[in-house]
Amino acid sequence: MVVAVLALMGVFVALYLLAHSMGLIPLVCGVWSCDTVQSSQWAKVGQVPVPLIGVAGYGSLLVLALLGIQPFWKDSRGIGLLMLGLATVGVAYTAFLTYLEAAVIQAWCVWCVTSAVLMTLIFLASLPEVGRAVQRR
Amino acid sequence: MSKKNRERKYGSGEVASGGAETTKFYWILGAVAVLGVGIVGYSVGSKALSPTVSEPIEMAGLDDPDELMQVARGVMKGDPNAPITIIEFADFQCPGCGGFATQVGPLLDAEFVETGKAKFLYYDFPLVSMHNHAFLAARASHCAEDQEKFWPYHDILYRTQPRWSTVQNPASLFEDYAEDLGLNEDEFSGCLKSDRHADVVTANMQLGYQLQIQGTPTIMVTKGQGVGRRVTATLEGIREGIALLQSGE
Repeated sequence: MVVAVLALMGVFVALYLLAHSMGLIPLVCGVWSCDTVQSSQWAKVGQVPVPLIGVAGYGSLLVLALLGIQPFWKDSRGIGLLMLGLATVGVAYTAFLTYLEAAVIQAWCVWCVTSAVLMTLIFLASLPEVGRAVQRR
Repeated sequence: MSKKNRERKYGSGEVASGGAETTKFYWILGAVAVLGVGIVGYSVGSKALSPTVSEPIEMAGLDDPDELMQVARGVMKGDPNAPITIIEFADFQCPGCGGFATQVGPLLDAEFVETGKAKFLYYDFPLVSMHNHAFLAARASHCAEDQEKFWPYHDILYRTQPRWSTVQNPASLFEDYAEDLGLNEDEFSGCLKSDRHADVVTANMQLGYQLQIQGTPTIMVTKGQGVGRRVTATLEGIREGIALLQSGE
């Protein structure tokens, strides 16, 4: 349940960044350097904006988390492990993006940091799935 | 599924206690959803209703030099490690700046920038009281900078200055120039029809005021971190200024 709430927050953070990357809105950023990060070469993977990857990632985690609490799927080992797998990929990718902000771009975007914190919390909240999966064997 | 089977599968207590917990969860999820849709929707909606920003914006804290320097930034050309820096404060709609960019600029590039003797730093200083499109032009140049085409766009704006300066709304011409340079049109238009970079242009103007710049183009040359020496906006003036810096005067 915690994963679902965090993933929904992540969806909105990613949507906000996506709307900015499409030129629809300015970012509320304070003294951070959101524009520097968002206009860097790292803000896209090929032609795909990174926030779109975020929407897809958080959206998938949200769907898995909601499926996982439905009575039919509650005892499913697969859903929990799939969620953990996705969270692991997500936290690794987020760590890479945070490294880029710190070492390459040398600027910080508050919304990217928020996303990194959310993904880390999702990963930590998904870890008990390992224990549950072992118990269900 | 019979009640007996359901209890065997999910556990009878789990169904009862899980019900209240699940309801609470859906309330929390619903609250997050409403809040998220509200914030993102409001941001997009209010932006859609707001016009293209074509004049300086209100910004708190720019009187503080530290805060000002966090927002103000010039666009650089040349070797970042070059010992001399040539700084220009300019207005895309000012004919003098146009003359400087099209006539002196290429000579400066050949003699100082391309040889690594100096780097060139361009700051916006739109004279908004007399040039009605200058602020938007400055923003447009930063929109091109987002796609790493500031300098080609800078050159186009100065070359075409007599044309876009006289139309009522130059936005579509600015979009045409972006298209000519092969920029992503949607991205450029989205940037132009927003307030993006209005903060940087406003801060650059504020920096100019703090340096007591009166007109454009204002050219300064500097060595290291020192205060810039103002020079005449001609090739000879800049040569002379740089020679004085190098001789230590």
